[in-house]
Order: sequence, then structure tokens, then C-alpha cells
Amino acid sequence: MSCSMAGEEDFVLEEKRFKQYCEEFIKRSQQIGDGWEWRTSKDLGDGYLSKTHYQVRNRKIPPDLKEKNHDNCEQMLCTHVEESLDDSQAAGVCATEVIHYEYHVLYSSSYRVPVLYFRACFLDGRPLTLDEIWKSVHACYQACLLEGPWDTITQQEHPILGQPFFVLHPCRTNEFISSVLSSSRKHDRHINYITLWLSTVGPVVGLNLPMSYAKLAPEQDTNDDSVESRGEHGLRIA
Amino acid sequence: MTDDKDVLRDVWFGRIPTCFTLYQDEVTEREAEPYYLLLPRISYLTLVTDKVKKHFQKVMRQEEVSEIWFEYEGTPLKWHYPIGLLFDLHASNTALPWSITVHFKNFPEKDLLHCHSKDVIEAHFMACIKEADALKHKSQVINEMQKKDHKQLWMGLQNDKFEQFWAINRKLMEYPPEDSGFRYIPFRIYQATTERPFIQKLFRPIASGGELHTLGDLLKDVCPSAITPEDGEQKTQVMIHGIEPMLETPIQWLSEHMSYPDNFLHISIIPRPTD
Repeated sequence: MSCSMAGEEDFVLEEKRFKQYCEEFIKRSQQIGDGWEWRTSKDLGDGYLSKTHYQVRNRKIPPDLKEKNHDNCEQMLCTHVEESLDDSQAAGVCATEVIHYEYHVLYSSSYRVPVLYFRACFLDGRPLTLDEIWKSVHACYQACLLEGPWDTITQQEHPILGQPFFVLHPCRTNEFISSVLSSSRKHDRHINYITLWLSTVGPVVGLNLPMSYAKLAPEQDTNDDSVESRGEHGLRIA
Repeated sequence: MTDDKDVLRDVWFGRIPTCFTLYQDEVTEREAEPYYLLLPRISYLTLVTDKVKKHFQKVMRQEEVSEIWFEYEGTPLKWHYPIGLLFDLHASNTALPWSITVHFKNFPEKDLLHCHSKDVIEAHFMACIKEADALKHKSQVINEMQKKDHKQLWMGLQNDKFEQFWAINRKLMEYPPEDSGFRYIPFRIYQATTERPFIQKLFRPIASGGELHTLGDLLKDVCPSAITPEDGEQKTQVMIHGIEPMLETPIQWLSEHMSYPDNFLHISIIPRPTD
């Protein structure tokens, strides 16, 4: 794993600037009702972005699997659901799973980048394991993660709350951020670092940013090129 | 200097006599005897307790055993903290041996990271080393090393091989001749009384005028409550590896000689005993 220098213009995100981007991001989130808020720590005044969201998953359980225990069910569903959809629609049972996700964005002073912390649990409080989280990762990201899972998502202690969270590793951030940001500055366009970064890494762990973040504020340039240039670098705003 | 190299050895070979007792509510087929072990201060609980696990599993039924975890006086012990740090923070002013309770059920999901294999410990250890080098050298030294050098750091720790470890680690302790020290000092300050697990900030070892910053300078800047005014009573102890270094010690020297193998200075602020 390496933190490669991104070339001529290496954009370094200072902590003050991180807070400013977060403030701007929160304002936009409030405008569109996306639920992000800023949490300040009581002792040292540092803080982080926070969002909670619920994911509802419907699982069709074919009748012959109804009696088996929960663990077996999850394995077998992957192979049986698609095949027996027609049968199960008639006689099967629908199990609704509600998962509570918590996302935090903290600043890493060691790497000078934002870091995404997240955790998930079922409504009864049972936390999802790393395996269960990986299984819920969007299919097209799974290939990259399978190569070296320990370099990408790991369980770590939240530096402010002291509790276990999963973390998306910050090391690769500079590779894509610097090039996009330096080209945007060349064209004198304002891009919010947090929006850019979160729209790229978020979908990997089930966090999507509504397209409304991409719309620029009325007093700024409404040129659609900004969305396209993000597209060139393989970014997605789902 | 020969004296300074001795410090590296003293740090590496520090041990804590520990007594492991099985939690009373664990279901056993026979009575479980306590297990005594000298724990290396610089290592991690889950790396050095295979014998402890085997000892207690002998008296338990297979279905009663899931992931092992450790607790001291009701506090779950974080295996990802070095053993010496855990002891200094929670038990340094109590009588030896250190009494740790062993659990095999009811893993405290909200407090402890899981540790399903040695790979998890290795990944954590290497992540700390990499973060330390990001602070010291903008990651240049760690990135220039080959995978086998990284492996050697881990194997040195795992197998308690001082020479093998330091053959590579010495490179992480060097700095360009034109500088007087590292870019920033990798450190974390722990207090058992706070919700925040530790304080970590950017701190330069050299002042703008070229003077060496001291341990006292670091504390004043990052955790001023740890240092009370001269006329007041010193209510706390500042502890690293079981000792209280003088506050006048240059932080650059401390970083080079008293860091843990993960290259971080783990500093405990604990209440001073009143006797």
C-alpha cells in the first residue's frame, strides 16, 4: 500500500479548510434535507460530520428454508432466491431486515485527509460483522476489495468516541482528489472537497449522495462541465 | 552512545508478571486454575496469550468457547493497545502480579475490536507504523522499504527478536542531516477518565529558533491539565514504559528511544498515588 505523490500540484487539506468545507456541505445538506450534521467534541472542540440512515432489505425466503436457522438462511438465499422466485412468490415468506447505519467523517491530521468511519447494526442491536458489511458492498467495488481487504476496510477504534467502527482507509485518497481539484482550480471552479470525496468513497459502503449536491449554488457557475470532468475520473454520484 | 542503546534494550525486554483467572460465570467441566505469565510490555495481548487460551480451553466444553477477551476490574482491555500501555494506564500503582480476568462469552461489541487471527494484529501493527512514518517522514522511508522489510518488523515483534526488528526499525528513526529531527512526533496521550480514548495532534520536535522541544512543552501544548503550576501539588503522573521521564527530556530523544515498536510514544496520564 503506498501513498503516492499525485504529481505537480499536490493539494493538502488543512484542518481549518476541512472544517470550512464541512460547514458548506452541512448547509447544502440542510437545504436538500439529506440529514448530515456536525458534532463537536466537548473537551477539545474538534468535531466530525455525522449521518444516520436506515436500510431496508427485503428477503424472500422460499418455504423450504423457513424452518432453518438464520445463519444458514443467508448462505442459501444467495443461490436460491433467483431460481425459485416464481415459486416463492406464491408460497414464500418475505422477511424485512432493517439495518441502522451510522456514518462519520473525521479529519486525519496524520494523513491530511478526511476519513470515513461507519458502523451498522440490526434493530435488535446486533452489530454487523465485517463479512456482512463486505457482502453488502456494491458489486462493482467488490472486485477491488477482494484483492486486499485489509488495506481498504478495517475495524478500528473511533478516535473521539473510543468505540469500534469500520474505516475506509485514507491512503488512496490523494490519488484521485488532487488531480480533480487542481484541474477545477485551473478552470476557476469551486468544488467542495467533501462533496467530491464523499460521492466517490461513500457508495463503496452504501452511502449515496443525492444528485442535488452537484448542482451549484445560484451565484456560481452552472456549467455542466463540472459534472463531466468528475465523470472522467471515474467518480459516481449515485 | 552505548547508554542510549541500552535504553532500546530495556524498553524491548520489559515484562509484567500477570495472573490470568477465568471469569467465574464461564461454564467449566473442572475447576480452572489461574495461569501465570510474564507479558512483554511492547507486545499485544492477543499475540502472546495462546498458552492462556489453551490452558482454559482444556477445562471447558467446545460449545462454550468463542472469541477470547480480557478484562481488568470490570474494564474490557483493548488488545490493540500495547500491553505496557494498558498496565500503566489501569494498574501501574497496584500490587503485582497484574490480575486479568479471561472471558470466552458475551464479547463486548461496543468496546472491543474483534481479533479473529494474527493477521488482524499484523495489519493493525503495520497501520500504526505507517501512520507514524507519515508524521515523521511524509511516508518516504516506509514506502521506500520492500515488503520483506515490513515483514521483518512484524516477525521481529512476533518472535521477540530485538536485533531482527531494529535492523529495519533504525531506518525509521533516522532523519536528513540538514534537519535536527522528525517532521512531527508520533505520540498519543491517554487518560482513563476521559471518553476520548487518546489525544493526538501535530507537534514539531524543533522550535522555530532551532531549540529542541521537551516533553513538558508537548504536554503544555496538547494536554495542559497534566502539568500543574509549580506552587500547586502535582496530582498526576506522566508515565511511559512504567517510568516518569523528566519533563525536560527532549521529545525527539524520547521518540527515538522510548517509542513502542509501532513507532508511537504512548503516554499515560494517571492519578498520582496519595500515600
